[in-house]
Formats: sequence, C-alpha cells, structure tokens
Amino acid sequence: MAHAELDRVWPRDGRVRLVGRLHGRAPAAGEAWELLLTLRDGDGRRLRYPAPLDGPAFDVSLPVGDLAPRDVALPAYWDAHLAPGPAATAPRLRVGRLLDDIRGKKHVMVYPGQTVAADGRTARVRPYYTVRDNLAVEVREVREDGEGVAP
Amino acid sequence: MRIRYLLLHAYGMGGTIRTVLTQANTMAAAGHDVEVVSVVRRAGEPPLAVDPRGRLSDIADLRGHAAAPGPAGRLRAWRERRRAARPPRYVPGSEPGHKAINRAVERAVIGYLRGLRDGILVTTRPALNILAAEFATGGVLRVGQEHMNLGTHRPDLRAAIARWYPHLDAVAVLTGRDRDDYLRLAPGTRVVRIPNAVHSLDQKPSTCANKIAVAAGRLRPQKGFDLLIPAFGQAVEAYPDWQLRIFGTGNKQPRLRRLIEEHHLYNHVFLMGRTDEMDEELAKASMYVLSSRYEGLPMVMIEAMAHGLPVVSFDCPTGPSDVITDGKEGLLVPPGDVDGLAAAMRRLMGDEALRAEMGDAALATVQAYGPEAIRERWTELFEALERGNGVPGASEPGSLVRGPR
Repeated sequence: MAHAELDRVWPRDGRVRLVGRLHGRAPAAGEAWELLLTLRDGDGRRLRYPAPLDGPAFDVSLPVGDLAPRDVALPAYWDAHLAPGPAATAPRLRVGRLLDDIRGKKHVMVYPGQTVAADGRTARVRPYYTVRDNLAVEVREVREDGEGVAP
Repeated sequence: MRIRYLLLHAYGMGGTIRTVLTQANTMAAAGHDVEVVSVVRRAGEPPLAVDPRGRLSDIADLRGHAAAPGPAGRLRAWRERRRAARPPRYVPGSEPGHKAINRAVERAVIGYLRGLRDGILVTTRPALNILAAEFATGGVLRVGQEHMNLGTHRPDLRAAIARWYPHLDAVAVLTGRDRDDYLRLAPGTRVVRIPNAVHSLDQKPSTCANKIAVAAGRLRPQKGFDLLIPAFGQAVEAYPDWQLRIFGTGNKQPRLRRLIEEHHLYNHVFLMGRTDEMDEELAKASMYVLSSRYEGLPMVMIEAMAHGLPVVSFDCPTGPSDVITDGKEGLLVPPGDVDGLAAAMRRLMGDEALRAEMGDAALATVQAYGPEAIRERWTELFEALERGNGVPGASEPGSLVRGPR
C-alpha cells in the first residue's frame, strides 16, 4: 500500500515540519497535494495545508496553535495524511515511517512537545508514532508548572 | 584439572557472572572437572546455565528454610540470625559485596576455604580474593580475578589488596594498565593479564556502508552518553544522513532524552532501549563509539570488533588502549574531549574505505579475544601453577618466586 514515508520531523519554533517522500505512488501533473490533519474522535474535523511536491518529495509544516482550538476537548489526537487535492477521488496516503529497520518507534523515535497557551488553558502539542509507526499529533493540557494533566 | 570458581552469587545476570560462567563452561567443555560455587543463593535456578559437564553448588542458601526441630535447632537458628545481623570481620567496608557477606556468610565461606586441599580455586571479586589469600591455605592453588580497575577501589579495600594479594598464587586482571597498577600497589603479586572472551568470533560482518553509528551500555554517567550526544550533534552537521543508536537502559534515560531535545537531535540520535539481538544490531552499524569516563574492559566494543566495526573511543581508563591502536582498528580520543570525539566520528563518516580498512584491522585484532584463545591462556596459567612454575609471562623480578604464605 502506498504511503508518505517520513524522513525527518521537526517540532520546533512553534511549528511541526514534516519532511519525506511518497512511497508506492507517483505524483501526477495537475495534482495539488495537501497535508491533512484529522481529529481522531469528536467531530472528526480536518485541517488542510498546501503541500507542493518536488518530484515525490514533500516538505510541509503547520503552526502548532492550529491543533489546540478552544472548542476541542483535550486530550486530542490528530492523524496525518497527504492527499492529492481537495476534489480528488484518489485515496489519501497515511504519513508514517515504515521503511527502516527500527521496530517500536513509539518509544525510540520520540519527539519533544511544544506548548501553546490560549483561552486560559495551556496545551502541549507533540508529534508521535503510533504502534503501527504512523505519525499522529497528541495535544494535552498542561498545568502552569508544565506537568501533564491526567485525562 | 579440578577447577572451582567461587562467585558471590551465581544466580544473577551481571557482567561478572556472565564472564565467569562463560569461562567455567568453556573449561568444562574442554574436559576439566569444573565446579561453580555460589557463596549465597537467593534464587531457585540460575538464569545463566552452568554446562551440564560442570556442577553448581552453594555455600549459604538464603532462600529461607525452617529451623531444625527441638531446642538445639532453635538455638542454632538464633545464633545464625544473630551472626546474620553482624557485618563481616575480614571484608573491607567499601567492597560492594560487603552488604551481601554478613558474619554468618563469611564464617561459612572461611570454613569452605579451609577445607580445600587440591586443584585450582578461582575467586572472582576482591572480598573473595582476600578471604582466599588468608584462609585457603590447605594446598589448593588460589587465583584471584579482578573485574574492576584498581582506580574504582577505595582506600580500605586498597589496603587489604596490598596486604593480601601477594599471598595469592596468581591475580588475573583484564588490562595492561591494571597489571601495572596492581603491581605498584601490591609489589610481589603475581599478576597476569587475561582479558575476557567475546561470545563468538563467527559473526556476521558489517558492510561499513550503512550510515549508522552504534553505542551501548547502561544509561549511567559512567558511559558518558551525555558527552557523546553533543559530539554526535557536531558530527551530523557535516554528515546529516548519519544516525546514532544507543542501546541500553538506566536511570539517566530522561536526562539523555532532554539532551537530545535541547540539541534538536531527535531525528539523529535514538535511545533504543534493551535488545536481545545485539549481534544483528552491531552488524547493521558502520562504527562503534565508546564515550565512557572509565571502564574495566569494554566488552561490547570488543564484540563490535568481531563484526568488523571500526571504533571511535575515548582513551579512558581502562581497556580501549589495551585493545586499540590509534589509527589502526579505530581512533582514540583524549578522554572527555567532545570536539575530538566529534572530529574522529566525522573522519570515519566521510571515508567509507577507511571504515572498511579499520574494520578489517579490528577483525584481525579481535581474534586474540576468541573463546578458544582465552581458554588457552587460562589453561596455560593453571598448568603452570600446577607445575609450580608461577605465572607465565610475568617479567617482574621475583615474580616466579612464591610469595609469603
């Protein structure tokens, strides 16, 4: 199955930047690729960002503040996909890291979180690998001292 | 030959236990009469097996058992409990085994040592070496092993070593530096250097083509991963395709994770945790990095060399410079020199041919650390002692003369 293979994830400077390339799917002329972040539960809402390709390579980022809107209950989890455009009927591609030899990335390739303060609450936004080595972003409320709040 | 290996606790998983059981099993497989004796026993079965051609026994079974019936049995149990609550008389307080060896255990060990009349007795830590020197005087040949470098021993233990090691028939250390250090502290000691063996020389060789550096060890300050992480950060600025995989667990894991985050190295440095497949992981890498502040003899480094991996290492006490010649099997860097460690890694990252060449040299050097080669050295020592020839290869004047008894 085709997917979007991650090479680097950069959670810094208030953004989450994803760098990698399509795998098992050649981009076609006229496609306007987008990064999609889909809320796993709740209203299933979707955030969309333009992700122009360079050949099969993508390099796209988004501001972490977008992932902690006031009307989303925390903790929240967003799943990442690349899709060949808003009107496309072609299936979207899961973003993940499946092609190397490291098993159990959830506990090995661990990324730092970034805090977002808005509307009287502080959230910590952290990309992570799921048990299937796909990329998701976790948003958790944190107390003033920076410790996580249990859900 | 009859050989007894005396371990503080044979029912554990530590490095010394593993090394000693490997030695004992190799000697048993070679047809010698081998017995592994555990001073204390706290578990039913040992996690690391003793070869069926050898035997395992223990001196003090601490698994807890009922007292013999009657007033005599209760009196004996009361005396044992009282002795168990008291510290040992002969084992120095700073010996890490001091906690495990209470007065009752110490008495049992002394009784055991006094009863030995023949063969070879190998003791495997300072406390047991000291007790053997003083009490195993009935005719058995005493070989004391030191698995730690002398620098890690405190003054009270050093004093006991200076007093008692010259009485042993031989003291075996892991490195040349240790050999010099123990001789200086305890002149007249018959010191012989026998390193530990790798578990196999028949390993899958690395291609030295993957852009993977590997390090391994407990996540503790001793291993210097807090120095390695910033050094690797410098090196990947020039070679961003490389990654570093650190295998091991330990209480500094959260601290190291923070360091990785501070240096934005989460795409390049991975804390891999524990693995049961270290051989496979080494075969995938293209260099081994040792950043320790000190070592005894760094066995994972030598295991890595058995896969044909070149080594970048701090020249820390003790071990790396015993095994590696700078520029031959790898690169030695002054201890603690982070920039130097980065420069050495960069040099290997940028030169695949150099990695392969040094990897070949590592594979040639490591042949001296194979199980058969090391068994041969132990056999040579034991046979020389049985013939009354003293320690083979000892060059110090007087080293072939028996010490005071």
